[in-house]
Amino acid sequence: MIRAMLVAAAITMPLATLPAQTHLVIVAGLGGEARYRDMFHGWALELIDAATERYGVPAENVTYLGESVTRDTVRIAARATVENIERTLTDLAMRAAPKAQVMMVLIGHGSARDGEPKINLPGPDLTAAHLARLLDAFPTQTIVVANLASASGDFIPALSGPRRAIITATKSGRERNQARFGKFFVDAFAGGQADVDHDEIVSLLEAFTYARREVARTYSQEGTLLAEHALLDDNGDKTGSYEPDPTTTDGALARTIALGYREAGPSARDPELMALYEKKRVIEQAIAALQRDKGRLDATAYEQQLEAMLLDLAATNKTIRDREDGTP
Amino acid sequence: MIRRARPLTGVVLGLAVSGCGSRGHAQATLAQADSLARVGEYRAAIEAYRGLSRRESSWQATRMLASSLQAIGDYAGADQALRSAIEDSVPDAHQLWSALGEVLTRQGRNAEAREAFERAVAGGAADRLSAEVNLAIASVGRGELDAATRQFDAFIDVYNRGAARTAADVAAVARAVRYLGRTDPQLYKDALRAYDEAVALDPLDFDLQVEIGNLFLEKYRSDEATTSFNAILERNPNHADAILGLARVKHFDGSSEAFALVQRSLGINPNLVGARVFLARLYIDLEDFASAASEAERALAVNPRAVDALAMWAAARYLAHDSAGFAQARDSALGIDPRNAAFFNTLAELAARNRLYQRAVDFAGEAVRLDSLAWRGYALRGLNRLRTGAIAEGRRDLETAFTGDPYDLWTKNTLDLLDVVGQYVEVRSPRFQLVLDPKEAELVRLYLEPLAEEAYDSLAARYGVRPLAPIRVEVYPRHADFSVRTIGLAGLGALGVSFGPVIAMDAPSARPPGEFHWGATFWHELAHTFHMTASGHRVPRWFTEGLAVLEERRARPGWGDDVTPGFLIAFREGQLAPVSNLNQGFMRPAYPEQVIYSYYQSSLVFELIEQEYGFGAVRQMLAAYRDGVETPDVFRTVLRVEPTAFDQTFTSFLETRFASALAALRHGTGDHAAPGREGIGRRVSSDTTDFVAQLGLGRTLFAEGRLEEALVPLRRAKALFPEYLGSNSPRWFLGQVYLAQGQLDQAAAELIDLTTRNAKHYPALQALAEIEAERGNPERAAGALESLMFVYPYDIARHRTLADHARAVGARTIELRERRAVLALDPVDRPQALYQLARAYRDVGDRGAARRTVLEALEQAPNYQDALDLLLELQATRGRRTE
Repeated sequence: MIRAMLVAAAITMPLATLPAQTHLVIVAGLGGEARYRDMFHGWALELIDAATERYGVPAENVTYLGESVTRDTVRIAARATVENIERTLTDLAMRAAPKAQVMMVLIGHGSARDGEPKINLPGPDLTAAHLARLLDAFPTQTIVVANLASASGDFIPALSGPRRAIITATKSGRERNQARFGKFFVDAFAGGQADVDHDEIVSLLEAFTYARREVARTYSQEGTLLAEHALLDDNGDKTGSYEPDPTTTDGALARTIALGYREAGPSARDPELMALYEKKRVIEQAIAALQRDKGRLDATAYEQQLEAMLLDLAATNKTIRDREDGTP
Repeated sequence: MIRRARPLTGVVLGLAVSGCGSRGHAQATLAQADSLARVGEYRAAIEAYRGLSRRESSWQATRMLASSLQAIGDYAGADQALRSAIEDSVPDAHQLWSALGEVLTRQGRNAEAREAFERAVAGGAADRLSAEVNLAIASVGRGELDAATRQFDAFIDVYNRGAARTAADVAAVARAVRYLGRTDPQLYKDALRAYDEAVALDPLDFDLQVEIGNLFLEKYRSDEATTSFNAILERNPNHADAILGLARVKHFDGSSEAFALVQRSLGINPNLVGARVFLARLYIDLEDFASAASEAERALAVNPRAVDALAMWAAARYLAHDSAGFAQARDSALGIDPRNAAFFNTLAELAARNRLYQRAVDFAGEAVRLDSLAWRGYALRGLNRLRTGAIAEGRRDLETAFTGDPYDLWTKNTLDLLDVVGQYVEVRSPRFQLVLDPKEAELVRLYLEPLAEEAYDSLAARYGVRPLAPIRVEVYPRHADFSVRTIGLAGLGALGVSFGPVIAMDAPSARPPGEFHWGATFWHELAHTFHMTASGHRVPRWFTEGLAVLEERRARPGWGDDVTPGFLIAFREGQLAPVSNLNQGFMRPAYPEQVIYSYYQSSLVFELIEQEYGFGAVRQMLAAYRDGVETPDVFRTVLRVEPTAFDQTFTSFLETRFASALAALRHGTGDHAAPGREGIGRRVSSDTTDFVAQLGLGRTLFAEGRLEEALVPLRRAKALFPEYLGSNSPRWFLGQVYLAQGQLDQAAAELIDLTTRNAKHYPALQALAEIEAERGNPERAAGALESLMFVYPYDIARHRTLADHARAVGARTIELRERRAVLALDPVDRPQALYQLARAYRDVGDRGAARRTVLEALEQAPNYQDALDLLLELQATRGRRTE
């Protein structure tokens, strides 16, 4: 795990911009039935475990507001009421560093009656507009809101803005069936299958893409029409993308966000290691440049050059590993 | 499209003029006779007309008398009545010439008919336009198509001048324009408008309305045709032509009601040539060529110059291998009408229905050679060229057909389909050309390609023939596309079809998971290809279907149909067709399930033959069909048994083979679903040998979670009917009970027992794979997953698992295939799938592919450490080799 955190960024995900501090707030609303209560609680725990154990988020940076505190007095900080959400976010706004990353995950059933998107909570429901006001308390931080509830699509126009990545399990308030997206979104972080560039960090974009595609796959396997369409908005235009493209629509911010910390890199006391990291960075940039030129190059020449660079990268990585492991 | 005919206005059939004076009395009697004729009381009407004509000598009454006589098939009587009136010089007798011409035409006395029509025209009869159009139609019947076209053209002027004033005149125009429709398909709409106008002028002319129904049917609108025929039959239930029209509609719609309807039609008019011809066609569908020929002969006895009857007779003789009879019929037909494309179209159509697709191409080619405007000929040649694999030529024909007949939905659908297929990819293997949807080609080919090659070798060894390669296999992810490829329309219930050199089938994705064993379906269809090759495409339907099902069972353990309670109960109740008449079970089923039962039944026939005579006998039977021997003689010459004696032997075979199951089903109705808690309890306590009750109780207890109690009735049910392997098999429930109890060994044993006999049981295969993995038997788990791929290969997780199991047991080739399958299913983590594939390539020694694949993985994820390590390893190996 340690080594994973030391792996430098891949060209497809400039993780160099990752903030040094992540706060995670999980809100699990009303389940309605036992099976949903169990499911929502299970998702929350899985995500907390992944954040703290896999991605190194300090336990004190995690707040879990659940449907009932008695269900798990150790993990659940307070009941998932509007009042407690307000309190949690107000408190967090005061202590979060200016460049911190605040990730809020909403789990439960949503609705959009009378054009007012909301998530069902014990007591009054939390509306998108109310949440938007609460998030105004984070003027410099990077904000992630992942609303995994049904009928959540209309949260995007309400919450969209600069430095914000908003994910919803559905494209609108009309997709009212229990959304499958949440399970796969949690799996993406907990299981690691979403790490498609194998840099051993799951970016928000990877998690979204993984969950969206897995949802589509389950519907396809059942031979039924896709009944939920998750969206991601991170360019502040109040419009979510089902298939985000960082170069044209959404995804540019989400690919820089991960659940957790990234270690600082090589120790400054080991200049040789620093040099190796620098060499690695240069090779990665060269590979990226080569890929940009792919269309202009002869296929064989491209492949040969790519292979040479990758072999160089492989050898460099190996040297780094050996040095870090203390292997002579 | 052709618009719908206007609804008929109210028709008053009652006697409205009683109580009038003497003249009024005569009119009332005529009206009474007319009424009787119009409601189909022909014999009473004839009597009334005869009485009337004697008293009044009215030419109208004579014509109506002749019409009623014709309606019951007494053409000689009609002829005599008309001639007598003409000879007796009744007033305005010249008005009867046209009617006489029609009666003579029905009997094939064409020269006399022509003379009669000419006299009607010359005499200035009120219906001379009808006579003129009949003369033009007679020109068509002599092959004088250009002359006929000129004659028909003249009717447009007649109409435009306003010279067509009566219903008969306008109907004559409608007929002429209808004939002209072949030169301009838009004219069919004008014909229909004219027919509508004629009906408005005389709503009681049902013959006219029959023509409208026939026009609708000719233009593929069976719904509109049905409306037309039913409207007539509501008023005249004995209108033989309308009943025949309805029979044709039913046939068009694929309903077996056609047979009863045409019989009903012939019951009214036994000399209705069209009905005899149609009945002959139905017999050909049943592959009963002798009866077809007999019906055609009866038609020809009425009208020896009926080319459609000659076509049917020719087809029956051709299909019965009577080349001399066929040649005689062909020469007769061409002697009557040297440009009769319809004769060859009929032959093409019937040849295709009997799997002689190349002959259908040839016959249709003759049709278009004789008549370049024979659009149906182009359509038939095009469709059958597609069936023989000549795709480009077939498409050209269909495009030609569509320009001339844009109403042909089959042609349109097929052309649309060809646009879809044009996007498909073609994959070649030594003996096959696989045509696959690009979205799933990479996946499907992984399984289909080796299966196809294996099946070819296996079947070639069994049958001793080698169909010409490449065999084209088209695989359709949309069932509707497969259906159009097969019959030109959506809605076909089948899963696959073999035309010999071309096979089309549903892709595994065309059906919900677990509903369709595509591997067995392919094997089945390829078996047909071998049967057609071995028999020169002369194998009967029942024979090739049964044999193909048997081949499924021979392909792999658990493939092919199994016995069901419904089948055995149908057998016990005498509802299965005898072997000597098994084609009926396929072509004219007496009840909906009979087709399915007939598949299984005929497969058992071949099990018996193989068991008693050896498989060589099957090969000899196919050769006998090739040589033109009919089924009864095939049994006599090859098996040396009378067909009826074989029926007995087969019955005994079933009784012995399923003795235990038949006894256990003696209470059952075939419905093996749980018959209710109380009923089950009674039945179980009263008889422990009642399979339905035992299974029902076991299922109920299982559903209630009373697992231990469920075991006893489930075990009993299994012992009572061990051959039952369906979705609700006792084995399946036993397996689930054991699984729920944590008895994995016993659960595995039940599910192995079940899936090795029924490899279509998708949930059982899934469960077995998981149980075996849990028991630490990756090889067996892999076996279950391998079977599962022939049912539903789209579950990416199962491919990963199978690849892992294969890797664990060192099955490198299977692992490689499965890694490719994962990649084909577009995994989220594509770099990982590529890396694992690269590793699999390395393991089978294909280092070049391994290098290319790992580079592809790293192109997407350059810091993927495992992939980088593999690249280094491959580089090191290459370096060592270079050294």
